[in-house]
Amino acid sequence: MRDSFSDVSDAALVLAIARYHQEALAEAYRRHAGAVFGLARRLLGDQALAEEIVQEVFLRLWNDPDRFDPLRGSLRSYLLAHTHGRAVDALRSEGSRRAREERDARRTAEGGYDVEHEVWDLATADQVRRSMRRLPDGERVAIEMAYFGGYTYREVAGRLGEPEGTIKSRIRSGLKRLRSELAIAGISVGED
Amino acid sequence: MTPDELDALLGAYALDALDEDERREVEAYLAVNPRARAEVETHREVATLMAFGGAPAPEGLWDRIAESLESRAPQPGPELARVLPVRRRRWPTAVLIGVAAAAAIAAAAVTVAVVRDPSPPPSAIDGMAQVFDQAMSDPDSTRIVLSNEDSSQRAVAVVQPGGLGVISLRSLPDLGPERTYQLWGVIDEEVISLGVLGPRPGVEPFTVEGDLTALVLTDEAAGGVTASEQPALLSGTVA
Repeated sequence: MRDSFSDVSDAALVLAIARYHQEALAEAYRRHAGAVFGLARRLLGDQALAEEIVQEVFLRLWNDPDRFDPLRGSLRSYLLAHTHGRAVDALRSEGSRRAREERDARRTAEGGYDVEHEVWDLATADQVRRSMRRLPDGERVAIEMAYFGGYTYREVAGRLGEPEGTIKSRIRSGLKRLRSELAIAGISVGED
Repeated sequence: MTPDELDALLGAYALDALDEDERREVEAYLAVNPRARAEVETHREVATLMAFGGAPAPEGLWDRIAESLESRAPQPGPELARVLPVRRRRWPTAVLIGVAAAAAIAAAAVTVAVVRDPSPPPSAIDGMAQVFDQAMSDPDSTRIVLSNEDSSQRAVAVVQPGGLGVISLRSLPDLGPERTYQLWGVIDEEVISLGVLGPRPGVEPFTVEGDLTALVLTDEAAGGVTASEQPALLSGTVA
Protein backbone atom coordinates (compact mmCIF):
# COMPACT_ATOMS: atom_id res chain seq x y z
CA MET A 1 0.00 0.00 0.00
CA ARG A 2 1.22 3.51 -0.75
CA ASP A 3 2.14 5.68 2.19
CA SER A 4 1.01 8.87 0.53
CA PHE A 5 -2.27 10.58 1.37
CA SER A 6 -2.18 12.64 -1.78
CA ASP A 7 -5.09 10.81 -3.37
CA VAL A 8 -7.54 10.70 -0.47
CA SER A 9 -10.42 13.07 0.16
CA ASP A 10 -10.27 15.81 2.76
CA ALA A 11 -12.80 13.95 4.92
CA ALA A 12 -10.64 10.84 4.82
CA LEU A 13 -7.60 12.94 5.65
CA VAL A 14 -9.26 14.18 8.81
CA LEU A 15 -10.14 10.65 9.84
CA ALA A 16 -6.48 9.73 9.40
CA ILE A 17 -5.47 12.78 11.42
CA ALA A 18 -7.76 11.54 14.17
CA ARG A 19 -5.65 8.38 14.11
CA TYR A 20 -2.51 10.48 14.56
CA HIS A 21 -1.22 10.19 11.02
CA GLN A 22 1.17 13.11 10.83
CA GLU A 23 1.49 12.55 7.09
CA ALA A 24 -2.23 13.22 6.76
CA LEU A 25 -1.84 16.55 8.53
CA ALA A 26 1.09 17.35 6.26
CA GLU A 27 -1.12 16.68 3.26
CA ALA A 28 -3.89 18.90 4.67
CA TYR A 29 -1.27 21.59 5.19
CA ARG A 30 0.00 21.17 1.64
CA ARG A 31 -3.53 21.59 0.29
CA HIS A 32 -4.78 24.44 2.43
CA ALA A 33 -1.97 26.29 4.21
CA GLY A 34 -1.62 28.79 1.39
CA ALA A 35 -5.26 29.85 1.65
CA VAL A 36 -5.10 29.95 5.44
CA PHE A 37 -1.94 32.02 5.41
CA GLY A 38 -3.30 34.32 2.69
CA LEU A 39 -6.45 35.08 4.67
CA ALA A 40 -4.59 35.60 7.95
CA ARG A 41 -2.05 37.92 6.36
CA ARG A 42 -4.74 39.85 4.55
CA LEU A 43 -6.65 40.42 7.78
CA LEU A 44 -3.68 41.10 10.01
CA GLY A 45 -1.27 42.74 7.60
CA ASP A 46 1.54 41.12 9.55
CA GLN A 47 3.60 38.16 8.38
CA ALA A 48 4.65 36.93 11.82
CA LEU A 49 1.13 37.12 13.27
CA ALA A 50 -0.26 35.37 10.20
CA GLU A 51 2.24 32.55 10.63
CA GLU A 52 1.16 32.17 14.24
CA ILE A 53 -2.44 31.86 13.14
CA VAL A 54 -1.54 29.21 10.55
CA GLN A 55 0.33 27.27 13.19
CA GLU A 56 -2.58 27.50 15.61
CA VAL A 57 -5.15 26.46 13.00
CA PHE A 58 -3.29 23.30 12.01
CA LEU A 59 -2.42 22.39 15.57
CA ARG A 60 -6.09 22.65 16.43
CA LEU A 61 -6.93 20.33 13.55
CA TRP A 62 -4.35 17.89 14.90
CA ASN A 63 -5.47 18.09 18.52
CA ASP A 64 -9.21 18.29 17.91
CA PRO A 65 -10.11 16.80 14.52
CA ASP A 66 -13.65 15.90 15.61
CA ARG A 67 -14.60 19.55 15.36
CA PHE A 68 -14.57 19.19 11.61
CA ASP A 69 -17.83 17.80 10.26
CA PRO A 70 -17.66 16.99 6.54
CA LEU A 71 -21.43 17.28 6.28
CA ARG A 72 -21.29 20.94 7.29
CA GLY A 73 -18.82 22.07 4.66
CA SER A 74 -15.41 21.57 3.16
CA LEU A 75 -12.21 21.25 5.14
CA ARG A 76 -10.91 24.42 3.57
CA SER A 77 -13.98 26.34 4.66
CA TYR A 78 -13.64 24.93 8.16
CA LEU A 79 -9.99 25.96 8.37
CA LEU A 80 -10.67 29.38 6.90
CA ALA A 81 -13.58 30.00 9.26
CA HIS A 82 -11.31 29.25 12.21
CA THR A 83 -8.57 31.36 10.70
CA HIS A 84 -10.95 34.26 10.29
CA GLY A 85 -12.25 34.01 13.84
CA ARG A 86 -8.78 33.90 15.36
CA ALA A 87 -7.50 36.72 13.18
CA VAL A 88 -10.46 38.89 14.08
CA ASP A 89 -9.88 38.13 17.76
CA ALA A 90 -6.31 39.30 17.33
CA LEU A 91 -7.40 42.43 15.50
CA ARG A 92 -9.91 43.37 18.14
CA SER A 93 -7.60 42.89 21.05
CA GLU A 94 -6.76 46.17 22.66
CA GLY A 95 -3.09 45.93 21.77
CA SER A 96 -3.87 45.46 18.11
CA ARG A 97 -6.05 48.47 17.56
CA ARG A 98 -3.14 50.68 16.70
CA ALA A 99 -1.72 48.00 14.41
CA ARG A 100 -5.05 47.82 12.61
CA GLU A 101 -5.06 51.52 11.99
CA GLU A 102 -1.53 51.25 10.62
CA ARG A 103 -2.54 48.30 8.48
CA ASP A 104 -5.50 50.24 7.10
CA ALA A 105 -3.22 53.15 6.26
CA ARG A 106 -0.96 50.80 4.32
CA ARG A 107 -3.98 49.33 2.56
CA THR A 108 -5.07 52.76 1.47
CA ALA A 109 -1.66 53.25 -0.07
CA GLU A 110 -1.96 49.86 -1.73
CA GLY A 111 -5.45 50.39 -3.13
CA GLY A 112 -7.88 49.82 -0.27
CA TYR A 113 -10.16 46.80 -0.30
CA ASP A 114 -9.53 45.90 -3.90
CA VAL A 115 -9.85 42.14 -4.04
CA GLU A 116 -7.91 42.12 -7.28
CA HIS A 117 -4.75 42.81 -5.31
CA GLU A 118 -4.93 39.36 -3.81
CA VAL A 119 -3.43 36.28 -5.28
CA TRP A 120 -6.19 34.15 -6.71
CA ASP A 121 -4.66 30.86 -7.62
CA LEU A 122 -7.77 28.82 -8.14
CA ALA A 123 -10.45 28.89 -10.77
CA THR A 124 -12.96 28.99 -7.94
CA ALA A 125 -11.42 32.19 -6.69
CA ASP A 126 -11.84 33.75 -10.09
CA GLN A 127 -15.51 32.80 -10.19
CA VAL A 128 -16.04 34.18 -6.71
CA ARG A 129 -14.44 37.44 -7.72
CA ARG A 130 -16.74 37.70 -10.72
CA SER A 131 -19.74 36.92 -8.54
CA MET A 132 -18.67 39.54 -6.02
CA ARG A 133 -18.59 42.15 -8.75
CA ARG A 134 -22.21 41.45 -9.55
CA LEU A 135 -23.35 42.38 -6.05
CA PRO A 136 -24.76 45.84 -5.44
CA ASP A 137 -21.92 48.09 -4.24
CA GLY A 138 -23.46 48.59 -0.81
CA GLU A 139 -23.64 44.86 -0.14
CA ARG A 140 -20.19 44.12 -1.54
CA VAL A 141 -18.48 46.85 0.46
CA ALA A 142 -20.23 45.89 3.70
CA ILE A 143 -19.22 42.24 3.29
CA GLU A 144 -15.63 43.06 2.36
CA MET A 145 -15.17 45.49 5.23
CA ALA A 146 -16.61 43.01 7.72
CA TYR A 147 -14.85 39.93 6.37
CA PHE A 148 -11.50 41.25 5.19
CA GLY A 149 -11.38 44.31 7.41
CA GLY A 150 -12.36 42.44 10.55
CA TYR A 151 -14.83 45.15 11.56
CA THR A 152 -18.10 44.57 13.36
CA TYR A 153 -21.18 45.59 11.43
CA ARG A 154 -21.52 48.53 13.83
CA GLU A 155 -18.00 49.66 12.99
CA VAL A 156 -18.72 49.24 9.28
CA ALA A 157 -21.84 51.39 9.71
CA GLY A 158 -19.84 54.04 11.51
CA ARG A 159 -17.15 54.13 8.86
CA LEU A 160 -19.64 54.31 6.01
CA GLY A 161 -22.00 56.70 7.78
CA GLU A 162 -24.92 54.31 7.31
CA PRO A 163 -27.52 53.08 9.83
CA GLU A 164 -26.48 49.91 11.63
CA GLY A 165 -29.67 48.13 10.57
CA THR A 166 -28.90 48.86 6.96
CA ILE A 167 -25.43 47.34 7.20
CA LYS A 168 -26.51 44.12 8.91
CA SER A 169 -29.27 43.72 6.32
CA ARG A 170 -26.82 44.32 3.49
CA ILE A 171 -24.41 41.74 4.85
CA ARG A 172 -27.10 39.10 5.12
CA SER A 173 -28.78 39.82 1.82
CA GLY A 174 -25.39 40.17 0.14
CA LEU A 175 -24.29 36.75 1.31
CA LYS A 176 -27.53 35.24 0.05
CA ARG A 177 -27.17 37.01 -3.26
CA LEU A 178 -23.54 35.93 -3.55
CA ARG A 179 -24.59 32.34 -2.98
CA SER A 180 -27.12 32.65 -5.82
CA GLU A 181 -24.51 34.20 -8.10
CA LEU A 182 -22.10 31.41 -7.29
CA ALA A 183 -24.76 28.83 -8.07
CA ILE A 184 -25.26 30.44 -11.47
CA ALA A 185 -21.51 30.16 -11.97
CA GLY A 186 -21.69 26.46 -11.11
CA ILE A 187 -20.43 26.69 -7.52
CA SER A 188 -23.00 25.18 -5.22
CA VAL A 189 -22.92 26.03 -1.53
CA GLY A 190 -25.10 24.42 1.14
CA GLU A 191 -28.43 22.73 0.75
CA ASP A 192 -31.55 24.34 -0.66
CA MET B 1 -34.07 40.15 20.95
CA THR B 2 -36.90 38.68 18.94
CA PRO B 3 -36.32 35.78 16.53
CA ASP B 4 -36.60 38.20 13.61
CA GLU B 5 -33.96 40.46 15.13
CA LEU B 6 -31.70 37.49 15.73
CA ASP B 7 -32.23 36.24 12.18
CA ALA B 8 -31.17 39.64 10.90
CA LEU B 9 -27.80 39.17 12.63
CA LEU B 10 -26.99 35.78 11.11
CA GLY B 11 -25.01 37.18 8.19
CA ALA B 12 -22.90 39.40 10.41
CA TYR B 13 -22.43 36.53 12.83
CA ALA B 14 -21.10 34.31 10.05
CA LEU B 15 -18.51 36.99 9.26
CA ASP B 16 -17.45 37.31 12.92
CA ALA B 17 -18.82 40.85 12.76
CA LEU B 18 -20.85 41.01 15.97
CA ASP B 19 -20.04 42.55 19.31
CA GLU B 20 -19.44 40.08 22.10
CA ASP B 21 -22.89 40.48 23.70
CA GLU B 22 -24.72 40.01 20.41
CA ARG B 23 -22.51 37.05 19.53
CA ARG B 24 -23.52 35.30 22.75
CA GLU B 25 -27.20 35.94 22.10
CA VAL B 26 -26.96 34.59 18.58
CA GLU B 27 -25.10 31.50 19.75
CA ALA B 28 -27.80 30.76 22.30
CA TYR B 29 -30.35 31.12 19.51
CA LEU B 30 -28.39 28.84 17.20
CA ALA B 31 -28.22 26.17 19.88
CA VAL B 32 -31.98 25.66 19.65
CA ASN B 33 -32.67 26.59 16.04
CA PRO B 34 -31.44 24.19 13.35
CA ARG B 35 -32.72 26.39 10.54
CA ALA B 36 -30.67 29.33 11.76
CA ARG B 37 -27.65 27.07 12.19
CA ALA B 38 -27.98 25.87 8.63
CA GLU B 39 -28.20 29.44 7.41
CA VAL B 40 -25.03 30.40 9.27
CA GLU B 41 -23.19 27.39 7.90
CA THR B 42 -24.15 28.35 4.39
CA HIS B 43 -23.12 31.97 4.94
CA ARG B 44 -19.77 30.79 6.29
CA GLU B 45 -19.19 28.51 3.33
CA VAL B 46 -19.93 31.41 0.99
CA ALA B 47 -17.70 33.75 2.96
CA THR B 48 -14.75 31.41 3.02
CA LEU B 49 -14.95 31.04 -0.74
CA MET B 50 -13.94 34.69 -0.88
CA ALA B 51 -10.68 33.70 0.78
CA PHE B 52 -9.81 30.99 -1.72
CA GLY B 53 -6.47 31.50 -3.34
CA GLY B 54 -4.04 32.99 -0.93
CA ALA B 55 -0.28 32.87 -1.05
CA PRO B 56 2.29 30.13 -0.65
CA ALA B 57 2.82 29.38 3.02
CA PRO B 58 6.21 30.61 4.26
CA GLU B 59 9.12 28.23 4.13
CA GLY B 60 9.92 26.56 7.41
CA LEU B 61 6.43 27.01 8.84
CA TRP B 62 5.50 23.36 8.42
CA ASP B 63 8.71 22.36 10.19
CA ARG B 64 7.70 24.46 13.18
CA ILE B 65 4.25 22.88 13.22
CA ALA B 66 5.72 19.39 12.94
CA GLU B 67 8.00 20.09 15.90
CA SER B 68 4.99 21.19 17.94
CA LEU B 69 3.21 17.94 17.11
CA GLU B 70 6.03 15.94 18.61
CA SER B 71 6.07 17.96 21.81
CA ARG B 72 2.29 17.86 22.10
CA ALA B 73 1.71 14.24 21.25
CA PRO B 74 -1.47 13.20 23.04
CA GLN B 75 -1.07 10.62 25.76
CA PRO B 76 -3.29 7.56 25.94
CA GLY B 77 -6.21 7.98 28.29
CA PRO B 78 -6.88 5.85 31.35
CA GLU B 79 -9.59 3.66 29.89
CA LEU B 80 -9.31 1.17 27.14
CA ALA B 81 -11.93 2.57 24.87
CA ARG B 82 -10.68 2.44 21.34
CA VAL B 83 -7.61 1.14 19.70
CA LEU B 84 -5.13 3.42 18.10
CA PRO B 85 -3.34 1.48 15.44
CA VAL B 86 -1.03 4.20 14.24
CA ARG B 87 0.89 4.85 17.43
CA ARG B 88 0.55 1.42 18.88
CA ARG B 89 3.59 -0.56 19.83
CA ARG B 90 3.80 -3.64 17.74
CA TRP B 91 4.76 -6.77 19.54
CA PRO B 92 4.86 -10.17 17.90
CA THR B 93 1.86 -12.31 18.65
CA ALA B 94 2.36 -15.24 20.95
CA VAL B 95 0.88 -17.41 18.29
CA LEU B 96 1.18 -16.18 14.73
CA ILE B 97 -2.07 -16.56 13.00
CA GLY B 98 -1.88 -17.12 9.29
CA VAL B 99 -4.38 -16.00 6.78
CA ALA B 100 -5.98 -19.40 6.58
CA ALA B 101 -6.40 -19.50 10.35
CA ALA B 102 -7.87 -16.05 10.60
CA ALA B 103 -11.27 -17.45 11.50
CA ALA B 104 -10.20 -17.43 15.13
CA ILE B 105 -7.77 -15.31 17.08
CA ALA B 106 -7.73 -17.11 20.38
CA ALA B 107 -4.95 -16.06 22.69
CA ALA B 108 -3.47 -13.59 20.28
CA ALA B 109 -1.25 -11.29 22.32
CA VAL B 110 -1.70 -7.84 20.94
CA THR B 111 -0.72 -4.62 22.59
CA VAL B 112 -2.92 -1.65 22.00
CA ALA B 113 -3.07 2.00 22.83
CA VAL B 114 -6.07 4.20 23.35
CA VAL B 115 -7.52 6.96 21.25
CA ARG B 116 -9.11 10.01 22.70
CA ASP B 117 -12.75 9.70 21.76
CA PRO B 118 -14.63 6.47 22.40
CA SER B 119 -17.80 7.45 20.60
CA PRO B 120 -17.83 9.74 17.59
CA PRO B 121 -20.75 12.15 17.35
CA PRO B 122 -23.65 11.24 15.03
CA SER B 123 -22.52 13.76 12.45
CA ALA B 124 -19.14 12.07 12.32
CA ILE B 125 -20.84 8.74 11.71
CA ASP B 126 -22.69 10.22 8.74
CA GLY B 127 -19.39 11.64 7.57
CA MET B 128 -17.83 8.21 7.78
CA ALA B 129 -20.62 6.79 5.64
CA GLN B 130 -19.70 9.41 3.09
CA VAL B 131 -16.05 8.40 3.32
CA PHE B 132 -17.05 4.75 2.91
CA ASP B 133 -18.97 5.53 -0.26
CA GLN B 134 -16.05 7.52 -1.64
CA ALA B 135 -13.61 4.75 -0.81
CA MET B 136 -15.82 2.15 -2.46
CA SER B 137 -15.84 4.16 -5.66
CA ASP B 138 -12.04 4.43 -5.68
CA PRO B 139 -10.74 1.81 -8.13
CA ASP B 140 -7.40 1.71 -6.31
CA SER B 141 -8.99 0.69 -3.01
CA THR B 142 -8.84 -2.85 -1.64
CA ARG B 143 -12.20 -4.40 -0.75
CA ILE B 144 -12.55 -7.15 1.82
CA VAL B 145 -15.76 -9.06 2.39
CA LEU B 146 -16.05 -10.50 5.87
CA SER B 147 -18.52 -13.29 6.53
CA ASN B 148 -19.36 -15.99 9.06
CA GLU B 149 -19.06 -19.68 8.37
CA ASP B 150 -22.41 -20.11 6.62
CA SER B 151 -22.23 -16.67 4.99
CA SER B 152 -25.48 -15.65 6.65
CA GLN B 153 -23.83 -12.47 7.97
CA ARG B 154 -21.53 -10.22 6.02
CA ALA B 155 -19.69 -6.95 6.34
CA VAL B 156 -17.67 -5.00 3.81
CA ALA B 157 -14.41 -3.20 4.45
CA VAL B 158 -12.49 -1.04 2.03
CA VAL B 159 -8.91 0.13 2.46
CA GLN B 160 -7.63 3.06 0.46
CA PRO B 161 -4.09 3.20 -0.94
CA GLY B 162 -2.89 5.44 1.89
CA GLY B 163 -3.92 2.82 4.45
CA LEU B 164 -7.14 4.42 5.64
CA GLY B 165 -9.84 1.80 5.97
CA VAL B 166 -13.58 1.97 6.53
CA ILE B 167 -15.83 -0.92 7.46
CA SER B 168 -19.60 -0.99 7.18
CA LEU B 169 -21.30 -3.10 9.81
CA ARG B 170 -24.77 -1.75 9.37
CA SER B 171 -26.34 -5.17 8.94
CA LEU B 172 -25.10 -6.60 12.23
CA PRO B 173 -27.25 -6.81 15.38
CA ASP B 174 -26.98 -4.57 18.41
CA LEU B 175 -24.86 -6.31 21.05
CA GLY B 176 -26.23 -4.32 23.98
CA PRO B 177 -24.41 -2.12 26.46
CA GLU B 178 -22.19 -4.84 27.93
CA ARG B 179 -20.56 -5.94 24.68
CA THR B 180 -18.70 -4.44 21.75
CA TYR B 181 -17.54 -5.37 18.30
CA GLN B 182 -13.77 -5.32 17.89
CA LEU B 183 -11.89 -5.36 14.59
CA TRP B 184 -8.55 -7.12 14.16
CA GLY B 185 -6.17 -7.18 11.24
CA VAL B 186 -3.53 -9.68 10.28
CA ILE B 187 -0.74 -7.35 9.23
CA ASP B 188 2.78 -8.48 8.45
CA GLU B 189 1.96 -11.75 10.22
CA GLU B 190 0.93 -10.02 13.41
CA VAL B 191 -2.60 -9.76 14.77
CA ILE B 192 -3.30 -6.13 15.46
CA SER B 193 -6.37 -4.64 17.03
CA LEU B 194 -7.71 -2.08 14.59
CA GLY B 195 -10.53 -0.71 16.68
CA VAL B 196 -13.16 -1.21 19.37
CA LEU B 197 -16.26 -0.39 17.37
CA GLY B 198 -19.01 -0.24 19.96
CA PRO B 199 -22.12 -2.40 20.36
CA ARG B 200 -23.90 -1.22 17.25
CA PRO B 201 -21.47 0.32 14.85
CA GLY B 202 -22.57 1.72 11.54
CA VAL B 203 -19.57 2.72 9.52
CA GLU B 204 -16.23 2.87 11.29
CA PRO B 205 -12.76 3.98 10.21
CA PHE B 206 -9.50 2.24 10.87
CA THR B 207 -5.97 2.54 9.59
CA VAL B 208 -3.58 -0.05 8.31
CA GLU B 209 0.18 0.18 8.17
CA GLY B 210 1.89 -2.70 6.47
CA ASP B 211 0.76 -5.67 4.49
CA LEU B 212 -2.81 -6.50 5.43
CA THR B 213 -3.81 -10.06 4.70
CA ALA B 214 -7.03 -10.53 6.67
CA LEU B 215 -9.63 -8.84 8.83
CA VAL B 216 -11.45 -10.48 11.72
CA LEU B 217 -14.38 -9.22 13.79
CA THR B 218 -15.02 -10.41 17.32
CA ASP B 219 -17.60 -9.85 20.05
CA GLU B 220 -15.88 -8.64 23.22
CA ALA B 221 -16.73 -7.20 26.61
CA ALA B 222 -17.50 -3.47 26.45
CA GLY B 223 -14.29 -1.47 26.26
CA GLY B 224 -12.48 -4.05 24.19
CA VAL B 225 -9.58 -6.33 24.99
CA THR B 226 -5.88 -6.38 24.29
CA ALA B 227 -5.92 -10.08 23.44
CA SER B 228 -9.02 -11.85 22.26
CA GLU B 229 -10.11 -15.26 23.34
CA GLN B 230 -13.31 -15.14 21.34
CA PRO B 231 -14.02 -16.95 18.10
CA ALA B 232 -14.36 -14.82 15.03
CA LEU B 233 -17.82 -13.57 14.21
CA LEU B 234 -16.78 -12.63 10.71
CA SER B 235 -13.53 -12.88 8.83
CA GLY B 236 -12.27 -12.17 5.37
CA THR B 237 -9.01 -12.26 3.50
CA VAL B 238 -7.50 -9.87 1.01
CA ALA B 239 -7.81 -11.35 -2.44
